[in-house]
Amino acid sequence: MRIARNAAATLFCVVWLFPVYWMVNTAFKPYGDILSTTPRFLPFPFTLANFADAVAKPGFLRDLGNSVLVTGAVVVAAIAVAFLAATALTRFRFPGRRSFLIGVLVVQMVPVPALVIPLFLSLKSVHLLNTFLGLGLTYVALVLPFTIWTLRGFLQGIPVELEEAAMVDGAGRGTVIRRILLPLVLPGIIATSVFAFITAWNDFLFAYVVMKDQSGYTLPVWLVSFSTSTGTDYGGLIAASTLFALPVVVFFALVQRRLVEGMTAGAVKG
Amino acid sequence: MTADTTSTSSPAAAMAVAGAEPPPRRRRHPHLLPYGLLLPAAGVLALVLGCPLIRLVIISGQDYGLRSLFTGVVGWAGLANYQAVLTSPDLAPVLLRSIGFCAALVVGTLVIGLAVALLMGRLGRRMRAAVSFSLIAAWAIPNVASTLIWKWLFQPVYGVVNWLLTQIGFGDLTQHDWTTSAFSAFTLVWLLVVWQSVPFVALTLHAGLTQIPRSYYEAAAIDGAGPVRVFNAITLPFLRPILGLVTILSVIWDFTVFNQIWILTQGGPSGQTTTLGVWTFTTAFSQNSFGQGGAIAVVSVVLLLALTAVYVRRLVRSGESI
Repeated sequence: MRIARNAAATLFCVVWLFPVYWMVNTAFKPYGDILSTTPRFLPFPFTLANFADAVAKPGFLRDLGNSVLVTGAVVVAAIAVAFLAATALTRFRFPGRRSFLIGVLVVQMVPVPALVIPLFLSLKSVHLLNTFLGLGLTYVALVLPFTIWTLRGFLQGIPVELEEAAMVDGAGRGTVIRRILLPLVLPGIIATSVFAFITAWNDFLFAYVVMKDQSGYTLPVWLVSFSTSTGTDYGGLIAASTLFALPVVVFFALVQRRLVEGMTAGAVKG
Repeated sequence: MTADTTSTSSPAAAMAVAGAEPPPRRRRHPHLLPYGLLLPAAGVLALVLGCPLIRLVIISGQDYGLRSLFTGVVGWAGLANYQAVLTSPDLAPVLLRSIGFCAALVVGTLVIGLAVALLMGRLGRRMRAAVSFSLIAAWAIPNVASTLIWKWLFQPVYGVVNWLLTQIGFGDLTQHDWTTSAFSAFTLVWLLVVWQSVPFVALTLHAGLTQIPRSYYEAAAIDGAGPVRVFNAITLPFLRPILGLVTILSVIWDFTVFNQIWILTQGGPSGQTTTLGVWTFTTAFSQNSFGQGGAIAVVSVVLLLALTAVYVRRLVRSGESI
């Protein structure tokens, strides 16, 4: 029994890791070995030429810069806006609070691809098509429901007494938020930033529709347009994909456990 | 996104599992401050998600084409867009394809995900770590990157998968192009989406399984219950809420799969892998018929709502206890 289970698990790992392994393997293989009808399973002789090739491709560095700029701005804006909203939702009781929360939930149920058309036309009519501001606003809106909800959960875990004590000592609301709430909620902010980062960094559809000008492409759009150009250079393409995936894999590994915990906490009652 | 499928979680999900919670404790000085704090979030959500949603419905009743795009002059079409969509000869095949493909994805993901989750609970520490590692690796790769890797894995002549299948003895498949027939193109996309979706399902179900108290299993063992009976009497009832949640999220995500199909097949060969999402996109952006594209999008939202109606109702109801 034990052997059978381990065999099944090993088979699963091999199948599931194979695409990742093949990506890394291809990225480090010399060009001649990539285009060989009998595949080589180890990247020997080893080369970094594909990476050099990818980085030197027209547009790669510019679009990497675009991606970093948009993603960075989105993370900062989304977290700031979501933090304010979550503070309002957990520290105050006011009319309209519940409607707001239900609104956030309902918005989350809408299939995102259905929004592409009206968003495209709306951005066009306010002249934000082809601008990073338009794309960034779109991403902020896409990640807000989740970030508000998650930060709200973290803020609820912080005892109000800490803030009340500070206010008794004469601290204003701004000071309380900055000096007490913010440091305590930092782990939550990190987890939600990673989520916002991944959403904005990975998005293809909106960037593809909103940024029609080549100079405004983000990395996913660059990758896809590169892959459909004639005579695809698979060495460069796979190396570029590896570079693109790397930050996500690293960040994701850091917060994955917390995301799964958040999903299942309290779902099964023992 | 996105149809981004590293969409790892959602407030809806958190909501469904968290249930009721205590009301906020501070009641002093409500005044205008909380509204001020909410304003930026409400503004962005209303402008970028709320307005487009309303606008989508409006556009679907308009004659919004290429000319309107440049002149800004838009005429009303009444229900003409819906009429065109609902009487289109493409409608039935696209609907069948979308629903069938979504069902195949959901079933594949859930069956493999549940099997892996159950397996993980019965493995040694090291083997379990290896399985988790494989899952996280597959989950973390951005879907544009994994779609391009798929293209390369299944490439005719140089693709390693064709080579492996040839070696195993499926005949000479080295020249086989997976995108030339509807069935093999769908298989290609199915493999990719299932590969990406199993990690979320398996890890979530595994986390749920670990919360079932050991004592139930011990009692069952003393009573001499077999594995099937233990699964039906203990595991399944405990797992049901999480299983329901994971199913509904899978339906939503799999019904709206776009990137993978678009990048791998563009809906081809000759429209045979065109799902609702691809149809919306090509109608609006390739034929510049935004009104009709809008109508298709509205139809798909309604369809998705119908598929998930039970869950949405429960969500709104649980919203009453926020």
